[in-house]
Amino acid sequence: MKFKDRFSFSGTLIILILGVCLACPWVAPYDPYAIGGDIPFAGPSKAHWFGTDDLGRDLLSRILYGGRISILIAISATLIALIIGTLWGVTAGVRRGWIDEFLMRTADAMMAIPQILFALIALSAVGASVYSVPVVVGVLLSPTTARMARSAVVAELNADYVVAATASGVKRSRLIMSEVMPNIAPQLLVQLSINAAAAVMLEATLSFIGLGIQPPDASWGTLMLQGYAKIWNTYWFVAFPALAVTITILAFNAYGERIRVSLDSRRSSS
Amino acid sequence: MRKFLIRRAASSAIVLAMSVVLVFVSIRLLPGDPVLAKLGAATEVTPEALKALREEAGLNRPLLAQLFSWIWNALHGDLGSSYHSQLPVAQLVSERIPVTLELTFFIILIAIIFALILAPLSTHRPGGRVDRIIGYGTSMGLSVPGFVIGIILILVFSLRLAWLPSRGYVPFTEDPVENLKLMILPAITGGLTATPYLVRYLRASMLEIKQSSFVRTAEGKGLSDRRILFRHILPNSLVPTLTMLGLIVGYTLSGVLVIEYMFGLPGIGSLAIESATKRDYAMIQGVSLTIIASFILTTFLFDILCGLVDPRLRLDKGEKSEV
Repeated sequence: MKFKDRFSFSGTLIILILGVCLACPWVAPYDPYAIGGDIPFAGPSKAHWFGTDDLGRDLLSRILYGGRISILIAISATLIALIIGTLWGVTAGVRRGWIDEFLMRTADAMMAIPQILFALIALSAVGASVYSVPVVVGVLLSPTTARMARSAVVAELNADYVVAATASGVKRSRLIMSEVMPNIAPQLLVQLSINAAAAVMLEATLSFIGLGIQPPDASWGTLMLQGYAKIWNTYWFVAFPALAVTITILAFNAYGERIRVSLDSRRSSS
Repeated sequence: MRKFLIRRAASSAIVLAMSVVLVFVSIRLLPGDPVLAKLGAATEVTPEALKALREEAGLNRPLLAQLFSWIWNALHGDLGSSYHSQLPVAQLVSERIPVTLELTFFIILIAIIFALILAPLSTHRPGGRVDRIIGYGTSMGLSVPGFVIGIILILVFSLRLAWLPSRGYVPFTEDPVENLKLMILPAITGGLTATPYLVRYLRASMLEIKQSSFVRTAEGKGLSDRRILFRHILPNSLVPTLTMLGLIVGYTLSGVLVIEYMFGLPGIGSLAIESATKRDYAMIQGVSLTIIASFILTTFLFDILCGLVDPRLRLDKGEKSEV
């Protein structure tokens, strides 16, 4: 398992990114909102590791503060997707019949709408803010989570222990909550990690097209939008936030992949 | 075949209907008044004027009635008129379609070319160095947002090397060379985002085909590696990939939105973003319908295509062969 070994630092990387971004008030070297602190568009130097932006603000500090917004949005969106998606998928998987059919067709219909388009519709209606973006992103990620949860539950319900428990008269609701749910938890964890990556990407994309986090608040996507507008002046400005987003997504995806691989190997060896 | 066609058409129609209702209802149910958005915050509005405008737009009727009349009109090619320019939505949308079509065509073309090169290289020696490098590359590619790839391409090819323009659009009929030059960067951006999915899928199905007995027979009778690859493995692994391609066209449509916006191409995607920023609900509805319908239509066509190529796919899972 070379792949697994090589990416085992992804979990550490995630914790590092989360820690640094959430602790930004203590970590950041400058005030991210202080205008005119230094020369605009300064390149990376000892004083400003990542250079400065168009208003002379320290880019490293802005990326750390932006990271806090991006990460918090990703976390809340992921949790929302997990809750909605699990309820949705488990209900479908347990109930079956027409309820299953209806719930899964709804998921298909939602997935037939391109994600960005759906977010666009919702955000133009409610207005983009730090509160609406995570909800919209979370709802967007829930149908895929629901599908995964449903197939996991259906597979579990066919297992021998379920038949045995049913035969010995265990109540169905208890069986689901205390036997089936813990068994599908690892698969949900994989989905959680993939969702976190997708949430970071979606938020960045939405902010990049100007429909996500609005200034003066700035997520990584907002910073990239500002940097992209000034791409002819300096490339640091757009490159560093882009790097931050990419590394974060990569870490979440690699972590999810790693758990999935170890789950698969456990299943195939048992 | 007919049964298969009917079944697929029916399920596509259901998904289409549901997503249209979903879009319509979510626009209407979410807070945010389309009439207020139309008037803008700057103007003073009397309640009477507001009511008159609502009536004029038919917004005071029951939701279901609005939904049905909108669908009825849409079926007759009338998508209403833009709140801003008052021009018919159908006309504005159709003006933008050629740009998006051209871009999508090039994106898919590039992705297919890359996949056809990378997947055979990767499966030549599974687990070998080339395979591992391509594997890392595709995992990377799946994690990099499309617009980040676009930014990198602009930095390198427009800023550093100054080879290609980074923004703008000229119709193909006016200046074919300039049109293609402007399409290169957006098309590569989209192509590179779609490639990893295709490579992974094609690689997996090629590996599966490689295990099958007819490949062993081909090896046994001494055919050259190249002949086995091009005559036996590739054609057989393309069929499952075709289904995947339908889905990728769909994802590409989502990516096209952002790509058009960042490269300043006047396609449907940038139209969607413009109308969302202006809160032009009539436009958003029309654009969404167009995008969703074309996505569902594409997946449907690819499904049919796969059914034509491979009769086994015409059967539902669990249904026993009757062909």
